[in-house]
Amino acid sequence: MALSYGTAARIAARELRSSRGKFAFVVLSVAIGVAALTGVRGFSSSFRSMLTLQARSIMAGDLSARTTQQATPEEQAGLDKIAAEGTEATQVIELTSMASSPVTFDPLLVSVKAVDPAKYPFYGKVDLDPALAPGETLAKVLGPNTVVVADDLLIRLHLKVGDQIKLGNSIFHIVATVINEPDRLTGSFAAGPRVLLSLNALEQSGLLGNGSRASRRYLFRMPLSKPGEASSDAAVVAMKARLEALLPEAQVTDYREANPNVTSGLDNATSLLSLMSLIALVLGAVGVAMAMRAHLQQRLDTIAIMKSLGARSGQVMRIYLIQTLLLAIIGGVLGVLLGFGVQLSFPFFLAKLLHITPGFRVDMSSIAVGLATGLVTTLLFTLPPLLDIRGVRPILILRRAVEDSDDPFAARLLKKLHGNLVQIGAIVLILVGLIFLAAAISGSARVGIFFSLFLAIILLILLGLSALTLYLLGLFLRGTRLHLPSVLRHGLANLYRPGNPSAALLAALGLGVMLVMGVYFIQESAVKTLQITTAAKLPNMFLVDISPNEVAGVRTLLAAQPSVQGTPELIPVVGSRLIAFNGTPAAELKSRFRMPDDGPPSRDNNGRPRGVMMRNLNLTWGPTEDAPPPGDKIIEGKWWTAAEAANSSAHPLVAIGKFQALRLGAHPGDTLTLAAQDSQITATIAAVYEADSQHAYSRAEFVLPEPDLRGLPTIWYGGVHCDPSATAALQRAFYVAYPTITVISVAATLEVVRQVILQITYVIQFLAAFSIFAGVVILASAIAGTRYRRIREVVVLKTLGATRPRIAAIFSIEFAVLGLVAAAVGIAFANLGASLFIHFVLKIDYHFQPGLTLLALAITAGFTVAAGWAASFRVLGQKPLEVLREE
Amino acid sequence: MIVVDGLRKSLRTGSTTVDILKGIDFHIARGEFVAIMGASGSGKSTLLGLLAGLDNPSEGTVSLNGTAISDLPEDKLAQLRGRTIGFVFQSYQLIPTLTALENVLLPYELNDETGGRKAGLDRARQLLTSVGLEARMDHYPVQLSGGEQQRVALARAFILHPPIVLADEPTGNLDSTNGQHILDLLLQLNRAEGTTLVLVTHDPALAQHATRIITLRDGLVVSDENQTPRVSEFQAGA
Repeated sequence: MALSYGTAARIAARELRSSRGKFAFVVLSVAIGVAALTGVRGFSSSFRSMLTLQARSIMAGDLSARTTQQATPEEQAGLDKIAAEGTEATQVIELTSMASSPVTFDPLLVSVKAVDPAKYPFYGKVDLDPALAPGETLAKVLGPNTVVVADDLLIRLHLKVGDQIKLGNSIFHIVATVINEPDRLTGSFAAGPRVLLSLNALEQSGLLGNGSRASRRYLFRMPLSKPGEASSDAAVVAMKARLEALLPEAQVTDYREANPNVTSGLDNATSLLSLMSLIALVLGAVGVAMAMRAHLQQRLDTIAIMKSLGARSGQVMRIYLIQTLLLAIIGGVLGVLLGFGVQLSFPFFLAKLLHITPGFRVDMSSIAVGLATGLVTTLLFTLPPLLDIRGVRPILILRRAVEDSDDPFAARLLKKLHGNLVQIGAIVLILVGLIFLAAAISGSARVGIFFSLFLAIILLILLGLSALTLYLLGLFLRGTRLHLPSVLRHGLANLYRPGNPSAALLAALGLGVMLVMGVYFIQESAVKTLQITTAAKLPNMFLVDISPNEVAGVRTLLAAQPSVQGTPELIPVVGSRLIAFNGTPAAELKSRFRMPDDGPPSRDNNGRPRGVMMRNLNLTWGPTEDAPPPGDKIIEGKWWTAAEAANSSAHPLVAIGKFQALRLGAHPGDTLTLAAQDSQITATIAAVYEADSQHAYSRAEFVLPEPDLRGLPTIWYGGVHCDPSATAALQRAFYVAYPTITVISVAATLEVVRQVILQITYVIQFLAAFSIFAGVVILASAIAGTRYRRIREVVVLKTLGATRPRIAAIFSIEFAVLGLVAAAVGIAFANLGASLFIHFVLKIDYHFQPGLTLLALAITAGFTVAAGWAASFRVLGQKPLEVLREE
Repeated sequence: MIVVDGLRKSLRTGSTTVDILKGIDFHIARGEFVAIMGASGSGKSTLLGLLAGLDNPSEGTVSLNGTAISDLPEDKLAQLRGRTIGFVFQSYQLIPTLTALENVLLPYELNDETGGRKAGLDRARQLLTSVGLEARMDHYPVQLSGGEQQRVALARAFILHPPIVLADEPTGNLDSTNGQHILDLLLQLNRAEGTTLVLVTHDPALAQHATRIITLRDGLVVSDENQTPRVSEFQAGA
């Protein structure tokens, strides 16, 4: 008998139609994973497309040069020359400071941005309320005495447009709220609400002291290549090379790179979230495989009949392979449609981080990836049950009983293994396929291998835990059965109904619970840790940008505050950069690892990055000359004496922090050549020290004797421990006396960081939730697969006198216990995984959270009961005789 | 005890309406043993189901112990059924996840635990012993043979001392030896409990044990005759 593809497809489609309800859940389980994957990649693609299309607006220029230092005279001359040639330049300065209402003087940490309103932005526009009329520039609203601020600032300071605000030494009028800035994404991290003002106004405020570490960006707009057409990429590249040579301290990027951190972050996030989506897809595929196995069990007679009529195993497998394919395609298409919804939801989760909403865009490559991944995963995981068709014998039509073998156990085991070689091969193929998919999605073969093996191991462990839990529950039931209330006993006994969800199903649901709860436990521990660090005598408030002539006054003010405990730490900081190490220029140094503040590497003639290290260094001197500063411990070498310090101008010495020493491979006796402004110092390393990271001196990693740094531009920073209940009063006192000094409460700063962490983890949890949904749908599918058995049971119970509420109670207990078992297994593993991660990676203590655990158990049980009833809601309404008549 | 008046039952399948019962009237008195006979498709199992309130008639009424059951709400009907009727199915219909003892105990738990759990357990054990399964009480249905499963079903049917027992082809899935054994047990329990027994069967040999035979053909009663029942080996022994 030849079975054509057309015939096979016809049989497959008819069977699907007749089991619509059962397969609806299967389709949904595929759709969930595909939705997550296409949603993530679709959003990433839209975002990337927006970055490209609006690149110039996002940068607000063709090129940007970011630095923390003012241009030297030579650099300024170079910039002037470039401007004279037709390339416009403007400066944007960003810093963190304090602002207040001039009436109440309660200071608020704000993000200040100063621009030349006649020129900024070169591309894009600043959205204000009230809006600028067409053709008007910011110069209309930003004068020497005016600012525009974020809505959040007005709310927190109880102000409105038209009121005044105190910033630094000046009072400004608020003339509008700023809704959007085109280059918000590429600017500095905003620690507080925005205040936008002119460069002149900033100058007037006194916030920009000599040596202040404000972030400066030079924006450039090149001449148009043609009227109405921006400059060519070749011209931009040439200008970039010129700027890199002119401003060696600066990070120069062109509009095509937007912000390298953004695109790099986007790539990493896309990979991570895609892998999480792959987990949901794998679970969905497991669901399809389980449903197909159950379906084939019910079709044993049909398969046996076909074989007795001459069909070969391969021909029969064709039918069910086509069926699987159809399910995967339908599920994939549904998933793509749902994925649009996922894609649209991401801006909602990331609103506070992104400050920008990419338009909705249908990305065909994301759709293709999602569909293909869904299809391949489903086909792979359905291989083992399909291969079982080979073992169906035609005699099953007449007899179901299996003949026992007389062979000894070892022989039987070998025979079984030999007979299942193909199945073992299928499992290996599944693993290889998974590795390939994960590698393709993440863009890394290494990640693909680790991810797949890790997932496989986790699933196996969860499977074992689930099986063990069910076994122990069975023992409990056997030991107590007649002592339990009958409804509970009946509900628990139903867990072991033939064909009921197995340990594999519980492991699948448990994996989803494990992901969500694991992320949540880690997030909670990380966030909780941020709220600590107020140990007695350690700084919980930091003072930033204290000018040298304010130091004495600050000490006096602090001494007069009763809420200040312990001795405040005030440290001087001189900005510097590394010129050479042991005579080798910094440009030629190779470090074991780079730091973000090293700045991007310069490039050689072939465009390859050249390692340039240590562009932004903090130098300081200690409170006493013959000992390390507070919190620093010598681990190598010897600190200088007071006499050596006094003589340091002849023989400069330096102590270097442990981390920087590691980067350089430096030891006592080596030499460092450091530059600050126009000066250079070649100092010999006297000692290597380790900072405890809990004192203000931890900010600087190079300590020199004071005479070596005398006369260089210096800014002071302070660390104070204040009674936590009096931090607001201390901030106010500082603000009144020194409005240009920024006072940062650690608690408030940690709150900002906490919000960022929460935003990020919301997205991760959102995607992890897809795995839970996949697990719940699998559960519903399996319950739907036992529908007929349930109907018969309901009929018998009704015949014996059971009311519908009683039957409902029995089933609800069954579903709830299923959910509780899966949740317990998942949460146990989540606790284990989170505790290991928190202990070894975050290096903090892990605390078990019983309340959260109980809540997660209850919610999972609730989901499971809902899913169970969704899969069996018409069971209760069956008339007994309708069913019995079919017997 | 059981009053059937003008009973009709029709079923719609697609565009076709099939009349299964076309007007049935009879009374069954307390303590009677009635066999309902007929060929396959005569409507006898449907009739039995309507007597038990497992479905609603298209027309007519069924009364059990003076209560018309046709219009009762489903949950009330279930409770009445549980207390009034013991049912023996052709294919046993045991709950696979409960042991033999628990299956027998089930109607007791569903309907009447006023005597306490211990009383129910004692009664269940006693019934299982009387059907010869004292050593199999903790076995699951899958561990029992067909005959043993039907014996459990018999014990279950009698646990609440029901006034009425309905049996639908109780020996239909058993070989002749087991079938005879089941019949003997059914008659033994019926005699001991003094129930009204209605037995559906297509087997004349089985029907001979009844005191009255109602014969159905094409949905109608074609004969309703009292007879002298054949004495079984059990009855002969007694």
